[in-house]
Amino acid sequence: MRPKEPAARRDEILAGLAAAVDAMDEEGAVRWAKEAIAAGLDAYEAITQGLAKGMQVVSNKYDTGVYFVPEILLCADAMYAAIDVLRPHLRVQGRGSRVPVIIGVIEGDIHDIGKNIVRLMLDAAGFPVHDLGNDVAVSAFVDKAREVGEGIVAVSTLMSTTMPGMGRLVEALKAAGLRDAFKVMIGGGPLSATFAEKIGADAYGANAMEAVRLATEWEKVTT
Amino acid sequence: MTDRMSPKERVGAFLTGKPVDRLPCVPLILNHAARVLGVPVKAFATDGLLMGRANVTAFRRYRQDLITIFTDTAIVAEAMGTVLHFPEDDAARVKTPVVAEPADLGKVREIDGRRSGRLPVYLEAIRHCVREAGDEVFVSCCYPAPFTTAALVRGTAMLARDLIRNPALAHALLEKCRVASEAVAEAVAEAGGIPVLVDPVASGSVISRAAYAEFVLPYTKSVLARIAALGHVPMLHVCGRTSTIIDLMADTGAAALSIDQIDLAEAKEKVGGRVCLMGNVRPTETLLGGTPETVMAEARQCLALAADSPRGFILASGCEVPIATPPENILALMDAARMN
Repeated sequence: MRPKEPAARRDEILAGLAAAVDAMDEEGAVRWAKEAIAAGLDAYEAITQGLAKGMQVVSNKYDTGVYFVPEILLCADAMYAAIDVLRPHLRVQGRGSRVPVIIGVIEGDIHDIGKNIVRLMLDAAGFPVHDLGNDVAVSAFVDKAREVGEGIVAVSTLMSTTMPGMGRLVEALKAAGLRDAFKVMIGGGPLSATFAEKIGADAYGANAMEAVRLATEWEKVTT
Repeated sequence: MTDRMSPKERVGAFLTGKPVDRLPCVPLILNHAARVLGVPVKAFATDGLLMGRANVTAFRRYRQDLITIFTDTAIVAEAMGTVLHFPEDDAARVKTPVVAEPADLGKVREIDGRRSGRLPVYLEAIRHCVREAGDEVFVSCCYPAPFTTAALVRGTAMLARDLIRNPALAHALLEKCRVASEAVAEAVAEAGGIPVLVDPVASGSVISRAAYAEFVLPYTKSVLARIAALGHVPMLHVCGRTSTIIDLMADTGAAALSIDQIDLAEAKEKVGGRVCLMGNVRPTETLLGGTPETVMAEARQCLALAADSPRGFILASGCEVPIATPPENILALMDAARMN
């Protein structure tokens, strides 16, 4: 058999990675990731043009009621298994070095489905993500921000009762002298762009894709 | 606006199709009862007498049509071996699920409905409420249906994966949870309470219709049949979105469905001819964050949509009344039923 043209081979591998994520196929994702390395594809491109494309399909399927939490978890497992193969091959310089994102669900709230999907999409887009989990104290966000130095803080809640914690977080970043070093995005059911403005956050992200778009946009401005 | 019937007379008449002075109204007062008595949730969740006193005190203040004993969704999982964390003033949460690995299935404890875990706390609370207020109001005990218990025995994310990757393990676990759930129903009924199933994890926000049909419906159906056999009206509460599963929820054999995020007109159209509907004033936005006026307005909208539902309607909160809800908002909800 004649070897495939490099461009056709590249497209085939990227499509394979995306399809494996969408199909919850962990072994397939690992196999395609190994083929990507063997074929000399850029690991970063394999993640952002392959795995992330698959997660976009998954995220859309969740939003439209085709996939539910079990499916999302297995798609994510497939994605992370492939990332584990690709990570050692990521070049530290250049396109692979994106601004860090600190993400968490604000204190008092344990609903983390939405946060986890945003986290997945940020991972897939190549952002280094510090996931603080759910029910995260304002002080824990600030401590992590101090440690990371600069970047993006993404905070979510599904409950209106815990929304005030987000305002306190923005204030606490100010008080710690860190507000100018971080962009703050908020997300979750009861929130809105108006609320983001009211508490002094930089933006409201309506869904995971929007969160990635914002992070990418901010990165262009800051670097 | 005074009532002519006691909550017990009203609910008794309502459930048997006899005339009532007004529609029943059941704000789901669960951990909020601790706030009414002025005790931290942790103390309330671990002391049956305190839990009973809190619920009687809350009933004296609000005169709601059903006492609903409950503190956390993990009470049965805990009895089966899951370890919980108890925040000082909030509901307990899972710390370590007992079946962290599939091989741990054997570690699941068979429960004694009267003795295991904190079940005696609930039973003592029920007995106290029945003793103090049982001539005026029915006392129910809300506890998790098999699917929610399985999620907290296995870890929710692990059970979710099992549904696709290891359905045999999921079914084995659910069967153990069904047995436990029926044991709890028997103990609750023996203590004088009405067993009510709550199934927050089986929400349409979390699992698909197909998963509900395979992993939720048969087990819930069995427990509700047991509750009916014990002489009680089988009731089921599911939180979150239920639009995709509401007909399956009616297939469980529940006589009343307590529902949260769904249009009551849609629920009435789909299952109103088969079951009594109960809902669905928004807990956080309206009860916690609103005013007596906004509560009244939303309650009236619920009544406008569903008061004429063929198998009846109970005005209620969509889910648990948040702990810090202003009492005047709960009283406004009760008034909305009286003014209808």
